[in-house]
Amino acid sequence: MKRTLTVCPYCGTGCMFYLVSDNGRLVGVEPSSSHPVSRGGLCVKGWNAFAFVHHPERLTTPLIRKNGTLEPASWDEALDLVVARLTQIQRQHGADSVMFASSAKATNEENYLLMKLARAVFQTNNIDHCARLCHSSTVTGLAETFGSGAMTNTISCIDETDVIFVIGSNTTEQHPLIGSRIMNAVRSGTRLIVADNRRIRLARQADLHLRHTNGSDVPLLCGMMHVIIAEGLADTKFITTRTENYAALAESVADWTPERSAAETGLEAADIIAAARLYAGAERAMIFYSMGITQHSHGVDNVRCVASLAMLTGNIGRPGTGVNPLRGQNNVQGGCDMGALPDLYSGYQKVSDPENRQKFATAWRVPALPASPGLPLTRAMDAASEGKLFALFVMGENPLISDPDQHHARRALENLELLVVQDIFLTETAALAHVVLPAACYAEKEGTFTNTERRVQHLCKAVEPPGEAKTDGEIICAMAKKAGYDGMSYASQSEVMAEIASLTPSYGGISYDRLAPHGMPWPCPTPEHPGTPILHHEQFTRGRGHFSPVSHSLPREQTDADYPLVLTTGRTYFHWHTGTMTRRTHLLDREEPTSFLELHPDDAARLSIRHRDRLLVTSRRGSIQTEARVTTMVIPGVVFMPFHFAEGAANCLTNNVLDPESSIPEFKVCAVRLEKLP
Amino acid sequence: MKQLTPHELEQFLSHLAVRYELRLPILLADGTRTIGSPDDGSVVLHGGAVPGKPTAAFFPQQDTIFTASQGTFSQTLPPVKPLCILGFTPADLHCLRFIDRFFGDGMRDDLYFRLRQGAVVAGITGYCGVRGALLPPAGGNCDFELFWSGENWLVRAYGATGAELVAELPNQATPKEEELFTQALATAPDSGAILLQTASQLLRTNRVPDSFWEEIGERCIACTGCNVTCPTCTCFGVLDWRSATKVERSRTWDSCQLDGFMREASGHNPLGSAALRSRRRIHHKLAADPLKWGEISCFRCGRCDATCPTGIGIMAVAQELVARFG
Repeated sequence: MKRTLTVCPYCGTGCMFYLVSDNGRLVGVEPSSSHPVSRGGLCVKGWNAFAFVHHPERLTTPLIRKNGTLEPASWDEALDLVVARLTQIQRQHGADSVMFASSAKATNEENYLLMKLARAVFQTNNIDHCARLCHSSTVTGLAETFGSGAMTNTISCIDETDVIFVIGSNTTEQHPLIGSRIMNAVRSGTRLIVADNRRIRLARQADLHLRHTNGSDVPLLCGMMHVIIAEGLADTKFITTRTENYAALAESVADWTPERSAAETGLEAADIIAAARLYAGAERAMIFYSMGITQHSHGVDNVRCVASLAMLTGNIGRPGTGVNPLRGQNNVQGGCDMGALPDLYSGYQKVSDPENRQKFATAWRVPALPASPGLPLTRAMDAASEGKLFALFVMGENPLISDPDQHHARRALENLELLVVQDIFLTETAALAHVVLPAACYAEKEGTFTNTERRVQHLCKAVEPPGEAKTDGEIICAMAKKAGYDGMSYASQSEVMAEIASLTPSYGGISYDRLAPHGMPWPCPTPEHPGTPILHHEQFTRGRGHFSPVSHSLPREQTDADYPLVLTTGRTYFHWHTGTMTRRTHLLDREEPTSFLELHPDDAARLSIRHRDRLLVTSRRGSIQTEARVTTMVIPGVVFMPFHFAEGAANCLTNNVLDPESSIPEFKVCAVRLEKLP
Repeated sequence: MKQLTPHELEQFLSHLAVRYELRLPILLADGTRTIGSPDDGSVVLHGGAVPGKPTAAFFPQQDTIFTASQGTFSQTLPPVKPLCILGFTPADLHCLRFIDRFFGDGMRDDLYFRLRQGAVVAGITGYCGVRGALLPPAGGNCDFELFWSGENWLVRAYGATGAELVAELPNQATPKEEELFTQALATAPDSGAILLQTASQLLRTNRVPDSFWEEIGERCIACTGCNVTCPTCTCFGVLDWRSATKVERSRTWDSCQLDGFMREASGHNPLGSAALRSRRRIHHKLAADPLKWGEISCFRCGRCDATCPTGIGIMAVAQELVARFG
């Protein structure tokens, strides 16, 4: 028996555990009893994180499409083809005719390497990853207001706060060890406000549950800020000494009386007042938010309001406070940190800045780097569907199931002259590819993941990859070599991290020898620096915190007579995103084996739908079949679906409308109708 | 009773390692303790129960049942050398005794006994619990126990295998240390045992209302940690992995805290709520097992309470239950 301390591959909580292996096979998981987040516990996905690794459907050899069929090929054959086709397409259509989709499931090192491959070797800034679909509005909104688009405080701050305000996060299901910690705090006397119209577990334990209508976060938050200012609950000293543009904010919320806010949100004015008093009256208050805030056509505005609320009450820069966007994927924080973004190098250094370009070009030993920002992933799919993007290299993502409007996504992918997918299983997207590259999974490689509290943690290899599968990093470096670039040969992943540290100020002091046993939080600028658990302590990253007033806009698609119900989408506790891993994990797949739709008993009665009836769900984009789950989890008029399932795919219905600033899709609101199937 | 200095214990363990595949409490990289090979971490016998399920030595989280491939059929063979497991606390030894009986009853579980048969089990007792707390002598349920007196390990054998293994140890325990062992053996049962008996009685006389289980169910996030760390939880699921050339059947720990555990093919579930599942978890140990096996099947090892992220391990629930309805 061998035990390997490593990091859970699922959510951004970043629990660490030991993978137990015997003769090269994983046989179990044991939690780390000393890890500061997991503290000897795990969620059900963590306990089962070993179970998909040796699944017989793992990809074991490169595949090339020949005569319409994916057939096994050698690595040389596959990589020669990929590089030749990418080069040929770029020669024909320009450098920006190709796009690289990086992965929040891959390590920091691999995200950095793909970013480097795209920029240094293929000379394009067309690099992005699934943060575009989850927290791109956070990156934009918090960078503008605070100067840093990351969780400001630590998970352990939950133990020392007085009030927790959770908005748009089903924390016990999506970040179970964080949600549990919130539950424990509440049992110890911490007050809890939950704003989410689903009656999630935390809501059932909250002092105040605000079931505001979908897409009305701006009216709710502005209403709360109005009350705070009107009742003299604002922290004037903090506002004066630490922030700027307060007058504009105060003016912008002056009209948001509790009554107007109530009218827009569907809440009682008294509840908005109570929430404002509870939050602002606390000595220390934390805000947690997630996709319920970000995945809107006005996601950046939602984030701005959250930031303003915290600054208005001085709840930034101290233990037990903060604005805490919970990052979804195990390494979506790291994917952003590493510059797998179209406009930023690692450490959020802008590609538009000539000095940054010179710095990276010199380090990477290339004459120049492209200056104009590349395409966000969502815009790239639009471009592909319009025939303006010709090649897409996808590492560890499954856009056919995870992107909005599946018909649009399929059209985009099928339009491409070259689709390369690098993954651990033949996903629905990989099945459309021209070339498929078999990758090692988290248990089969070394690297680092950065969790939601910015803790950079060491991922260790427990077992060998299956067949001829290689790590994402090995594949990327082999591609660089095939493309004639000699600047991507590394003896180890720690060498890659050394290069990252040399170019990325916030990771400047991070090296593998400092990460044992449970990592350290960035910013960590020098080898002596202890890391920074709490951001914006004495001043904001940008200097003064900036109040950004917003105007209210409705979700882009409204219900009408033909589509009378609001559909909101999300995840369940037992599955992870498109189910590539969890649907191949026996206990997890058994728990949630099929697509389903939650609807309120009133709607069910009106439509003569019973629990577990088969349904046809139709939006303006398409129709799917699913199963009814009649429940008071949702409010009348709103239905909920998880997006994990390829059969009954929620994203066949969702609306590919984007926030104009962050390009995040509005996954949280579209209009549908239901029909009971015979 | 024999006696070993810490150095002599090392020699004794080396001697055992010739005949057996030795596993014992080791310290892993981040301070987590587990039962493993001495090659995989420094041996740390002090500190009480390891966090993981010690019975995993014989009932691992995942175990291959058989592989059928192109006309051949194979099962995993027993280990070349039988196992010798040290590190069971007295509570753990009760758990092992319980599941030995469970897996041996009726249809004998050959997968379990593939590893259990011929294995040597040693208890770790004495003043070596958490921060030197006393782990009362086991007084049986193992082949031998090692009792830490504060200076030496006293070795007491039970049964023929244990007697044979310790027979050649040269030093007898001193009368003073023997007395220490005897005194520890006479220690009164802890208050936890009484608490569980009281909770058991309340459950068996139906004095716990459904509303209590609704509250507990609300706090259960279905992590399954209570089941997967419990040394007397023996439920498993069976799955087949099929590829073009073979079928591999394996079993993996299951959990009664999952909806799918009892869901019928029709979709109906007699344990279809977290409240009912939480009730079942506690009821099974405290009310159902006493009927079937004549004893409560929780021996207060503390693992479910330690791993539960929301504080509803069996002792916490029993405390709440007795406080409110006792």
